[in-house]
Formats: sequence, structure tokens, C-alpha cells
Amino acid sequence: MKENEQNNYISCKNGNPASIDGLVMSERARRIRRGGGMLMHLFLLLITASSAIAVLFIFFYIGRDAIPFFQSRGFVEFFSKNNWYPSSENARFGALAIFYGSGIVALASILIAVPVGVAASVCLSDILSFKARQIAKPIIEILAAIPSVAYGFFALVLLAPMMQNMGGLLLAVVTTVFLAPVTLIVLILFSDIASSKFRPTLRRHMRIALMIGGGVMGIIALFALFSKLAAIQITSGTNALNVSIILAIMALPTIVSVAEDALQAAGSGLREGSYAMGATRAETMIRVVIPAASSGICAAVILGFMRAIGETMVVWMASGNAAQIPQPWYNLLEPVRTLTATIAGDMGEADHITGADRYHVLFAMGLCLLVISFVLNLLSEWAVMRSRKKMRGE
Amino acid sequence: MEIETRKILNKSFTGTGWLSIALLAGALVVFLAPIVVRGMGAFVFRSTVEFRVMQDDIFERGNKDKLEEDLRKARAAREPVYEKLEAFEQELEEMSIVDRLEYRDSYDELRNAVRELLGPAPGEERASLPRNRYGQTRMDRAGHSLHHLLYIETYDYSDPTRMGELIYEPRSQEFEGTALEGLFEYAENNFEAMMRPRTEFYWQFLIDQPVDSNIFGGIWPAILGTFYLTLGAIIFAVPMGVLSAIYLVEYAADNWMVSLLRTFVSTLAGVPSIVFGLFGLAFFINTIGVSESKSVLAGSLTLGLLILPMVIRSSEEAIRAVPMEYKEASLGLGAGKWRTVLTVILPSALPGIITGIIISMGRAAGETAPIIFTAAVSVGRALKPSQVFTNPTPALPWNIYNLATEHEMVDEIRHVQFGMVLTLIVLVLLLNMTAIVLRARISKKLKG
Repeated sequence: MKENEQNNYISCKNGNPASIDGLVMSERARRIRRGGGMLMHLFLLLITASSAIAVLFIFFYIGRDAIPFFQSRGFVEFFSKNNWYPSSENARFGALAIFYGSGIVALASILIAVPVGVAASVCLSDILSFKARQIAKPIIEILAAIPSVAYGFFALVLLAPMMQNMGGLLLAVVTTVFLAPVTLIVLILFSDIASSKFRPTLRRHMRIALMIGGGVMGIIALFALFSKLAAIQITSGTNALNVSIILAIMALPTIVSVAEDALQAAGSGLREGSYAMGATRAETMIRVVIPAASSGICAAVILGFMRAIGETMVVWMASGNAAQIPQPWYNLLEPVRTLTATIAGDMGEADHITGADRYHVLFAMGLCLLVISFVLNLLSEWAVMRSRKKMRGE
Repeated sequence: MEIETRKILNKSFTGTGWLSIALLAGALVVFLAPIVVRGMGAFVFRSTVEFRVMQDDIFERGNKDKLEEDLRKARAAREPVYEKLEAFEQELEEMSIVDRLEYRDSYDELRNAVRELLGPAPGEERASLPRNRYGQTRMDRAGHSLHHLLYIETYDYSDPTRMGELIYEPRSQEFEGTALEGLFEYAENNFEAMMRPRTEFYWQFLIDQPVDSNIFGGIWPAILGTFYLTLGAIIFAVPMGVLSAIYLVEYAADNWMVSLLRTFVSTLAGVPSIVFGLFGLAFFINTIGVSESKSVLAGSLTLGLLILPMVIRSSEEAIRAVPMEYKEASLGLGAGKWRTVLTVILPSALPGIITGIIISMGRAAGETAPIIFTAAVSVGRALKPSQVFTNPTPALPWNIYNLATEHEMVDEIRHVQFGMVLTLIVLVLLLNMTAIVLRARISKKLKG
């Protein structure tokens, strides 16, 4: 018996391949393996850290070239004055109008993109069948994949002349086409709520009367709006509205995909509960699912806004590049100028040596963009985290 | 609320959803249709004899004998035009100085219009710029030139409250009663005989060198430049991205440092593309000096950084999608962690990783802002692979911008611009289609 064990031990030591040796490593091999594993771990950590630390590098090197500008010019003029004359003899760097341009363009594009984007994400997550979704999703992916310079080209060469030549009519038609169904829905809702105060026998008649009355008023209002819009003459096709429309299309894929994820994450339990209470799909979505997914949708909106404010080519090509605050402030038909377009456009003229301020002011703008997108990114991450926590049930 | 109203509202809600999807599809069609149609105009179009002459001259392409024959016929048809011009010049000689002055400007304008359409007159010496050596090479442009020859553009300012209105007056009015009277009618009636149109399939647009800042020729240097930049970006971004993804999924503990790393990566994803351009200029070129000034290398590094977060994210997802059982089986058989990653996880995640890489390639190929300060020039020759470390290059996205906004003959070369946009979009969409198909196959496979 003992001899047998001894034998076994020996054969093991001699490295018999098929026996236990494959499973039990010698101390040395184990150490080598663990060391190798640690090394691998370290190596991978190093790689990951360096790709993550790249963002710190970006902050550092943009900041390093931005600081000389603030040192020589201070903060007040740059952020609060509206006089952008970087190349004149007595250079002025009041970039308020440029900040304003970036903001208004991004805001307008978000105003266009969010309703459409949320509706589309609801449709994708809850309305379309699996097959229809297989067709709809690539459409959105293709919209996301098209290069920004192609969008800019479209805005400049096709959309701008169209706006200039028949902008008023175009505006009127588009607005009316969108407002007409909205008016109808509001009308139905309103007449229903208003008539609910009456006796049941009267209710039906009251509702019809209200609808007809409201309908006539709605048509008159729409017609008035139409003729007013149609009379507008757009002096320049390269303006804030043109850019906002294109940016909205570019921001839409981001908004749709993030919002759809949020809606999906709300789970089927919530929906089934609501259906069981007798709610229609619309009621379920609007009053249960969308509120539950609200932080995720917020994240989608923030990401869309980031996309719009960071976009360069479209605004450079089609915004008109006039550093001015439109009169009145909400007039989207005036040309504007944005931070990104200023950086792209002025770098060619800004000489590092002779016009030091002129060169560094562009980095100052880059730094502002960087800070804005950093803050927005943190906000969106926070929103996503909140929604995740919410889904897990607080 | 009444049940009826609720039903209607529910239907309209569904309708709104459908409408928004339809709107997206519509936007895609409205965007793509004109670009595809007009972009094809760079490849398939009605060419004039001037085009064939230009092709023979510059690229030594086409059938010489046929060209001679064509040219002879075209010259015969053009002869009367030049005869009439000569006759008018004779007439001018015999006129009084006052009359001659009266005609001088309008005659010069006419000569220029003829020159624009038909190219230099026979016997004129060879122009130094290629654009002045040939008449209109495309029938659509020739049509414009003919119109310019026949009519004078003037503006009607009679109504001071409105912008001046464009009106066209026949040029023949100016030369009533002179030898030139018949020229306009002749030109209009013998337009085709003078230009000898033919349908051309100019696929060489893709592989030709541009001539005289893209007025003639193709877009090869820009295509090649885009290829170099994309390839470079992938070479930098893929190893870093995939290794980072492996770390984040397989190795990283759930602690504050890793979540900080993740925040950094997502911040990197949110940095505006123009800021990448600034960074590339400030860091890669001005600080560590990978090249003297703009170069493909600096541009590739910048683009690589830009797509890095995309690569990390998509690889992470692909690695996460590998079923736990695979990993457990491998570890259970005694393989180490690294071996498991190399032999089990990576191969099964590979299609997903490749999908992500392909989409990132599309992004890198189409980005303009990061390469403005780091790699792109408007005019340049196609680079040899050995030159990529030191030389800047033309690239499709940048040249589209440049030709559409800064070129001196913006309206005359619309076809080139549209052709470029179409090429870029087809390139990017092909990449994305591949990715979409690949992904569909993966999801099928995972479903079993």
C-alpha cells in the first residue's frame, strides 16, 4: 500500500502527462503564472489608464494655450461684451454674440429634435412590430452615420437657396402641416373636458357644438398664421434656422437611441400594470412609462444638445458666420456665428507669433466648449445613473 | 373622459409615433436623393467634344481617330461663328471712332461668351491655365454658357421697394444691323453640332488626379488621403481600444478608480470634434512634434483619439455579450485568465468588435474638424505611403468644404462637389451597411 503511494508520488513528480499533474501545479509554476497574471493586469491597466488620461491631456493642452489669452485680456470683455474685432488694429475680443450664437442654434435644434425624437423612440420601443423595427433602426443609424460635412454641404448648397427663394411659403406650409393635427387633438381633448360638466343627455350635442365652433376658430387661426408666415421674406438662406434644422436631424439619432434604451429599461411590469388598470397605450406611455423613464430621456436630451453645440462643419458652412445677436433675440432668420465655426474659420488667419491674442482666444473658446461638454456629460451620466437606480426600485 | 375620446387620442398617439418615424425616413430621402442624383452627374453625363480633347490632352485617353473626326466636324460647325466675328471686326475697322467705342465693350463681352462656350479660337496660342484651354466640357455647363451667349443679364430696379429683379435681354439686340446679327440664331440652332454631345461614363473620376484645382480631372488624392487617415486612426485606436475594453470587462474591480476611468472615457466621447483638432495642433504638432507641420500622421493620431471611446464602448459591449458559460468552461478546464481571454472570449467577441471598428472607421473617414489643423490641405498630389509621416494630404471631407465654399469657380464645379459628397457618403454607408449586416448575423448566431 505504502509502496503504491510512493510510486504514485514518483510518477507525479516525473511529470506523467495525463495524471494529476495537469491539475495541480508546482509552486513555482503557480508563482510564475500569478506573476504573469499580475503583469498582464498591470499592462492592461496602463493601456486603459492612458486612453482615459488622454482626456486630461486634452484639458491640459487646451488650457495651456488658453491661459495666455485670459492673462492679457481678462475675463470680462470675452464673456460679456459684444464686439468681436479680432483682426483690427485695436483688437477687441468680446465674444458674447458668439456664445449666444452657439446657444441659440443648439437650443433651437433641440426644440425641433426632442418632440420628434421622443415620439420616434416611443414608436420604436412600443408601437412598431419586430419586423418594422428592423427596417426603422437602420434608417436612424444611417442618419447618424452621414458625415457632418455632407450635412453642411446639403445645408449650404440645397437648403439655403431654397430658403432664400421661397422661405416664407416653405415655413408656412411646414408649420401648418404640423400644427393642424396638433390643433385637432387639442380640440378633441378640450371639447371632451369642457362638455363633461354637462348632463349626459346633453353631453354629446355639446361636444359636437364645441368641436365645430373650435374647429372654425382653429381654421381661422391657422389661416392667419399661414398668411403671416408666407409673407416673410428671408434675406439670407444661411441663417440660424437652416442650421438648427440640420443640427436637429443630426441630434435625432442620439436622442432616439438613448431615449429608446430608457423606455425599454422601464420594463414590461410597469406597462402591464397600467394596461391592467384599463389604460390605453397612449395613457400608459404618457402617464406611466415616460415619467418612469424621465431621467433617461433627460440624458438623451442632454446628449443631443452636446452633439448640436459641438458640431462644426454644418454651422461653419451654413450659419452665415456673422458675429451678431439677432434682433429680436429669438429671430432665427438672421445669420449667427458659433464658437466651433469661429475656431475652425479663424485658425487659418490667426498667426501664432504676430497675433498671439488672436491665436490664444481660439483656445479659450475651445476650453469653454470643453468645459461645457464636460459638465453636460457629467449631468447626463448622473441622469442615467439616477434612472438606473430608479429602475432597480430605489 | 369619454371612451371614444380616449380611443381617438390613443390612435392619434400611435399616429404621432408613426409620423415621427416617417419624418426621419423622409429626412433621409430628402437629403440623399438630390445628392445621389446630382452626384451621379460627376460620373455619368453628356460630354462635349471639348471633354474628349481635354481627356486626350491631359490623360491621353480615348480613341485618337474618332476624336480627330469629331473635332473636324465640330470645327466645321463652328466655322461660321468665327467667320461672322471676323466679318464684324472688319466692319469695326471701317466704322467711325465713336461707333467703334460704342460697340467695343459689348463686343468684348460677346467674344468672352464665345470663348467660354467653345474654348480658344482657332490659331490662338495655348493658354497657360488648363481652364482656359478648353471650352465647356459638359453639356449642362455648355447650356448655361449658350444662354449667357444669347442673353444679357440685367436687373430691373423700377420698383424701389423690392430687390432688383433679374431679367434677360437677347444679346442680338445689341448687334442689330451688323454682321453679327445671324450669329445668335446660328449658335442656338447648331448648338449640338458645335459641341457634339455624347453620353460619357467617367468612372475615372475616382482615380484621376485633379487638374487646375479640381476644375478638370478626378478626386484620387482626396480618396487616398481619406484612406490613409482612416487606416492610421484605426491602427492607433484599435489596439488601445480593444485592450482597454478587455481590462474594463474582465479585469477591472468595481472601485472608485475604475469608475473614474469610465467617466474619463465617456468625457472623451463627448469632446467636440473641433477641440480634438485644437488638441492635435497644440499637442501632436506644437508640443511633441510628430511632424514639422500638418501631416497624415498627426491627423491619424487625432482621429484615432476621437474614435477611441467608440472602439472601447463597442468592444466592451461585444465582450460582455459573450455567454458566461464559455468563460466558465475555459476556466474550469484550467486555462488561465489571459489564455481564456485570448482563446475563448476574444474569438467569440470578434465579430462584434469588428462591427464596432467598422462603424468607427466610417466616423473617422467622415470627420472634418479634427483634420483641419492637423492634416488637410486643399490642393496636393496623391501621397506615397512613405510620405505619410511628413506630408499633409487632401482628404474628401475637407475638400468638400473647400470646394463648396472657398473655390473661385464654386458654381462651375458643382458636379465635382456633388460627386465628392456622393463618394464620401457611399464610402461611409458601405462601411455602415457591412456593420449592420454583420451585426444581424451575430444576433442570429447568438439566438441559435
